[in-house]
Amino acid sequence: MGYLNNTAVTVDAILTKKGRELLARGDGSFSITQFALSDDEIDYTLYNPTHPSGSAFYGEALENMPLLEAFPDETQIMKYKLVTLPRGTARMPVLDIGYSAIRIKQGASLAITPQTLNYLSQTSVNESSGYTFTISDVRLFNTFNGIGITTPEAQAANQTQTIGTNVSKTVIGTTLNLTATTVNTLFGGNTNLTATLQVVGRDSGARISIPVTVRKTT
Amino acid sequence: MSFKALDPEDFLVSADSVTATAWSTNSPTLTEFYTASATSTNDSYYKNVYQTGSALSNAAVQFAIAYGNSTGLGSALFNDLVAGKSPTRTVYGQYRNLVYGDENASFIFGGVTASDFWALNIERARYKESLLKGTFNLTLTNGSETVKLTDNSGLVSTDTFLDCGRVYQIISGSNGTSYDGGTGYTTASGSYGLFLPDVGTILLNPEALSASISLYPSRSSDSAGENIQSMFNAVVNGASFQLNSQETVTSDYVYIRTRNAEFNYSENPSFISGSTGDVLYTQFINSPQTYLTTVGMYNDNNELLAVAKLSKPLTKDFTKEALIRVKLDF
Repeated sequence: MGYLNNTAVTVDAILTKKGRELLARGDGSFSITQFALSDDEIDYTLYNPTHPSGSAFYGEALENMPLLEAFPDETQIMKYKLVTLPRGTARMPVLDIGYSAIRIKQGASLAITPQTLNYLSQTSVNESSGYTFTISDVRLFNTFNGIGITTPEAQAANQTQTIGTNVSKTVIGTTLNLTATTVNTLFGGNTNLTATLQVVGRDSGARISIPVTVRKTT
Repeated sequence: MSFKALDPEDFLVSADSVTATAWSTNSPTLTEFYTASATSTNDSYYKNVYQTGSALSNAAVQFAIAYGNSTGLGSALFNDLVAGKSPTRTVYGQYRNLVYGDENASFIFGGVTASDFWALNIERARYKESLLKGTFNLTLTNGSETVKLTDNSGLVSTDTFLDCGRVYQIISGSNGTSYDGGTGYTTASGSYGLFLPDVGTILLNPEALSASISLYPSRSSDSAGENIQSMFNAVVNGASFQLNSQETVTSDYVYIRTRNAEFNYSENPSFISGSTGDVLYTQFINSPQTYLTTVGMYNDNNELLAVAKLSKPLTKDFTKEALIRVKLDF
């Protein structure tokens, strides 16, 4: 008879860029209230349900793989979240925002209303808790607002002002309204500015990430 | 759902004391001491002491030596027409303000009032938050005479406080206790000084040092910096200065608890096949298996504030629960 290992797994955390920004702001917005788990770096095609040694070895290629250290850029980590769904789920929720990439002219506006497929036994649904929209560089847009969700946290996120730095911005809503920047100096000698827009379903956890390009016109 | 709310009992705040050597050599004892060869306008007030030649790239200030005198003796006057106002008088007033917070107070070392002192001011980056009592061991040598000094923290049951925080007498001994089992100093000349851990300062009593190792400060009014040099020489010849720092590190522990029915499916693109969202393997429909690699902590706005990575993937399925303790240092 041996002893069972009953110790908790202990890991050290780092603050993200957003975490440091909110900590520096000192307005109480740095308050951890919830968590999520992700399986970034895992390639499930390595899972082998036909392993000749049996089911205990299906995950052999994944279980002892070394992992990279955490990135402080909040848009580059926690990409693929683990979700809680009823046992027997055959299709995972996926997001459809109507674009595979966004190219927008300087000063132009666009509204994005995501739909979640394969969720709540429906083919397509607009999630009741809305979506979180995260742009990796908030300077690219004069307007970056979520509408349609009126909960206090959604309103607080939508009213957050971030000025002058290349940090990300997260808003909440059922629809995202954005207007590309009119500031020429941001472009420097370039004709395009690029960023990444990440959309996550707040109920389903479904996620999509697409490139965003703002084209200089003046 | 991909987010799970944390309960109040999932948080634990822990403040732990971390001690370390005070010196940038990472050795508890500093045995070599150097000053900068270049002159400075501050030389009449203090001199910085390095662990190696000051011109070397790894040179770092370890501590500074100053000398203070209540009547301005021991250095040239600022102006010959104004008696008593010199750098040593400025230093005296500076430390009196720091230690006593009273412009009428006098320095008292072990019951003896002193008109002057040497100050060893530890560089802030070295002592971090405070000096660790009981670790101060300084050897001073003047000619053939040597004295080994420590604080008396091991002899007192109750800490004494001045305006600068905790204060301990400096005595002849080691590691916080005296060699003779007594007070570690004579009542005639008083203690060897004051050990002030909360402000990273050590004051040495010239009366006690002159009685012990014949280290007399110059009390003429025209010398410039000789007293600082004489203390530096005594430290160099003693070749042993041991000191540790103390710092309180506050850590937040967050306990991440996942139940058996939670987090068994993944939004990982390799978990599904194609754009329809079908799970990759039919086995995953009723017996999904996920591999947890990252814990993200969010605020109410779903903004990712902190993130922790596991050293290897943690398997999760409908038969497993997980408890992960995440440590956040500030």
